[in-house]
Formats: sequence, structure tokens, C-alpha cells
Amino acid sequence: MLQINNLHAEIDGKPILKGLSLAINAGEIHAIMGPNGAGKSTLGYTLSGRPGYEVTGGSVTFLGEDLLEKAPHERAAAGLFLGFQYPVEIPGVSNVQFLRTALNAQRRIRGEAELSGGEFLKVARAQADALGLNMDMLKRPVNVGFSGGEKKRNEMVQMGILDPRLALLDETDSGLDIDALRTVGQGINTIMRKPDKAVLLITHYQRLLDYVQPDFVHVLADGRIVRSGGPELALELEREGYAGTVADDVAERAA
Amino acid sequence: MSLALPTARDEAWRWADLAALPELHAAQPAGGAVDTGVLWLNLGGPRLLFVDGRLDVVMSDLRTLETGAVAVETAHPLGRLAAGEGWILRLAADQATGGPVEIVHVATGGANHVPALIDLAEDAQASVVETFVGDGWANRLTTIRLARSARLMRSVRLLGTSGFASLRDEATLAEGASLIATVLGAGGAGSRVDAAVTLEGAGAFAEYGGALLARAEQRHEAAVVVRHAAAQGTSRQLWRAVADDRATVSLAARVEVARDAQKTDGEQSLRGLLLRRTATVNLKPELEIFADDVKCAHGATVGELDKRALFYLASRGLPDAQARALLTRAFVADALARIGEEAVREAFAADADAWLGDMS
Repeated sequence: MLQINNLHAEIDGKPILKGLSLAINAGEIHAIMGPNGAGKSTLGYTLSGRPGYEVTGGSVTFLGEDLLEKAPHERAAAGLFLGFQYPVEIPGVSNVQFLRTALNAQRRIRGEAELSGGEFLKVARAQADALGLNMDMLKRPVNVGFSGGEKKRNEMVQMGILDPRLALLDETDSGLDIDALRTVGQGINTIMRKPDKAVLLITHYQRLLDYVQPDFVHVLADGRIVRSGGPELALELEREGYAGTVADDVAERAA
Repeated sequence: MSLALPTARDEAWRWADLAALPELHAAQPAGGAVDTGVLWLNLGGPRLLFVDGRLDVVMSDLRTLETGAVAVETAHPLGRLAAGEGWILRLAADQATGGPVEIVHVATGGANHVPALIDLAEDAQASVVETFVGDGWANRLTTIRLARSARLMRSVRLLGTSGFASLRDEATLAEGASLIATVLGAGGAGSRVDAAVTLEGAGAFAEYGGALLARAEQRHEAAVVVRHAAAQGTSRQLWRAVADDRATVSLAARVEVARDAQKTDGEQSLRGLLLRRTATVNLKPELEIFADDVKCAHGATVGELDKRALFYLASRGLPDAQARALLTRAFVADALARIGEEAVREAFAADADAWLGDMS
């Protein structure tokens, strides 16, 4: 589904990703872990095309197409979803209006019929109920006055409504209490654990992985994946920290 | 008649661009048939159609409104040009119009000048919606007299294709009277919206604001003075300016509080949005306070669309133009929310949306 080859990216001329390669197949859930500053968020922003994140080398293929050639909204329409670490507040625009506009924009690009107001509300209500988000909150301005946990639930409701093929979830567990963490974890499983979908969880801590079991775990350090393994790798990192893994890599590269 | 116009040397006119007016003044209207079908909101009230400043009797339904000479005087340099025949809305005590008054002004080039008088006796109530379309210079002087507890909702949309619209409103409010005026500029013509509102009686309420949207080389300008002459008055001036390309939108809003106008509550919110770095927004909030027990707040900011919000919208599938339009719509929404009748509010919002739909 997603094939990243030797990806290099920089911000303001400063290299952040330095030859990252990763393959994700349909039906798989991957977790990328790593210390602060390793380039985890940069990976999510680069894949979703945020202005200012410049690709200087490598390639990314998504569902057989060149992802990097597409504008951000075309990447979304192609089935890519970025769950933000810090969801943005948009005063004056209601969640419902925002999401209906977004969903219909995606459907238009894909050549599908647009949803009427009534049809959209039915979809939105089902997703909000599944994630324990009050329908009234969907009528409020996007993320304005939402707590950290509500913002993250709102991201998951958006994911449910937009129904992407691949979700990049950037620190979706941050700012969540244990109940919200469980709800969000269940939401990810319900929405995305399907044979034709895939997830890339970007996280600093292991705790979300208790609820969303990854098939593969990768360690990102200094802009590259330095180690890959199964779910047990996350537990090892939790127990022993990143220092050992990262130091081994530095020693290897120096050798 | 020769045309004497104020110049930029006069502080109150420093941002005005009246350069197009002499030529329009000298030109003649092109005339011809006009289709105003979509401009009527069909709100069940009286309706007036002015074509190049003349009442179209067939298309109008005056009911209690009068037309003819309007005997008011003004020292205003543009307002005093509107000295011909106009319209009068006069309501006796406790009267109301059956539904909002709708007035459509069509211009086919040249210049037209129309005076108006809205004179509401005690506890009378009216809503007047005016729509300007076409080409040429439409110049209006509107005198508003609100007696004790009278209420007027005034909504004006400037949708002219080319040329210029100049409005001069002069309003006096007696005790407990209420004026809510909202102006939307969403056409291709330039404008000067000029108002002097005086709260003469205690406890009066005045709101004067709107949204001015400009692109290409267009110039919009609002210059509003609200004067609190009596105690316990409340005033609100909420303006939103949006400028794209090389357009300029200027807002000058002034609150004056006389010595006796204790317990005045005045608020100004002037906000500008630059859709391109080549556009200009000028803001001038002014307070002149001679009373000591007043509450006056003012805010003035100019900014650009939030880049983080734009990317957030793009990441959810919105093309750039649509994302910019959605955020701009949200920016002006406050200003249009003040319109009381839902049908009028929605019509104005649709006009703003049509303007935003042309964003590139």
C-alpha cells in the first residue's frame, strides 16, 4: 500500500529525514517509535504534504501512485489521513460544515456522488456515537474550547467519517486519560483494522500499543529507521529506553 | 452642476478614492431593461424599485411609503448632492410595516442621487433592506429619526458591478430607541459608507457595522461616527474588512462620549484580513470620551489566513481555494450575524459566499 524508499526531507534547509525506507501492506498496523527530535512528526507532515517540508530525495508510492506529486488535498482524496498531534482550532466553522465540505470535496475528486445534509448527518452521528463524542460537539466550531482528549476523539470521528485507506496517527495518545485512550484505541481498531486498510502509529510511548496491537514496530532515530521488529520490540523499548538502540546504531554507522 | 468633492487633505477623507466620480457625474445612464427578479427576497412588505434614481412605479408597491421631495438638510459634501426626489418611510406611534421594506437600486451608468427619510414615532418598528446593483455612481442620503423606543433594522448590500456607491446615514435616537445597521460590500464597485449616529436619549442602542470585501483594484471605505449625547447608551461597531489582490479597505470608526453621557457602553471591533500581501487594510478606531463613568472597548487587528488551519483543511481534502473561502466566510460571519430576519441574513450570507466562490 505504502512504499517509502530512501526518503530525505528538510525544513528551512535543515535535513530531518535522512534516508528513511518503509513498506506498509494492506491489513497491517505499524508503529514508529523514537526519541524526541528523531523526525517522527516530520514523517507524518512530509507524507501529507505540509508546506515547508521539502523532499530532497527518495520516493513514496501510495496505492501504486506517486504520492509526492500530489497536493495535500489530493493525498487525502487518494485515501491518506493524518491524525494531528495538535488538532487546529478553527473559530466560526462548525465541525459538521467542515467535515461535510471535506468529505464531499474528496468524493468529487474520486468521481463519487456528494452526500446531502441528511445523509451526511447520519454518517456523522454513527461515528460520533461510536467514539463517545456528543453530537452537540459536532455542531460547535472545529476544536474550539475542546479539551485535549476531546480534540483527539474528534480526530478519530473525522477519520471514521472520511474512511481513509491509510491513517498516519501522530501522537494520538498524547493528552489522553486512560478512558479516552481506551475509546480512541477501540476507535482505531474498529475503523482501520480491516484487510484493505493500514495504520502507521507515530508514538513516543508504548501505552497506546496496549490497545492497538501493532504487527510491526520500528525505531526512528536521526531521520532513519534503525531497527524493526514485532510487538515485543515496543515492550523492550519501554523497559530499556531508546538510548541503547540509538547508541548501537550510531556505533554501527561510525564503524 | 459642477461637482465639488472633498480631497484627501481633509482628515475624514484621507482614505477616500473619489477619482472616478467626476466622469460618472458627467456621463448619462445607458438605460435599457433590467431584470431584478432574483434581487427581491419576497418578504411580504412594501417594495420600491429605483432605476437610475427614478422610481419604477409599475414594479413598486409603496403601501404606506411616500415618494417625492425629502426636506432634510445636511452639510455632508456627498450627502447634500442627494437633493432630488426620494422616498419617505413614516410610521406613527406603535405602527409597523407589514414585513420588511425592500428597496432595490439599479443603475445603468452615470450618476444618480436619492434622498430618503425614515421617521419612526414612539414604539414604531421597521426593517428596511436595500440592494444596490448595476454600474455607475449611486449616491444616497438617508436621514433616520427614531422617537422613544422606536426600533429600526437597516440592512444594505452593495452588489454593484462597477462604479461607486456612496451612502450617508444621519441618525438620531431618542430614549430607548434602537438602530441596527449592517452593510455588506460584495460587488465590484467602490464604496464609501459614511454615517453619523447620535444617541440623544438615555438608554438608546446603536449598532453600525458590516463586512466589506474587495478584490482587484477595488476600494471600500467606511467612516462611522457614533455620538453618545445621553446617559446609559450602548453602541457596537463591528466591521470586517477583506482585501485581495491590490484592493484597499479602510475602516474609520469613532465613538464620542459627551460629558453627560455617563454609564455609556461602547464597543468597537475592527478586523482586517489580507488575502494577499499586495492588498491593503487601513483601520482607525477612535475614542473621544468626556464622561468619567463609561465602559468603552476597542480592538483593531489585521492579519492573514491561519496557515495551520489551511493545512488542516487541506489534509482533510479541501482544495486550497475552498479552504481559503471557508476560513474567510468564518471571518466575516460575525458581522452578518447581526441581521435579525433569517431570510435577509441568509441572502446576505449567500452574496458573501458568491464573492468567496470567485476566490482563486
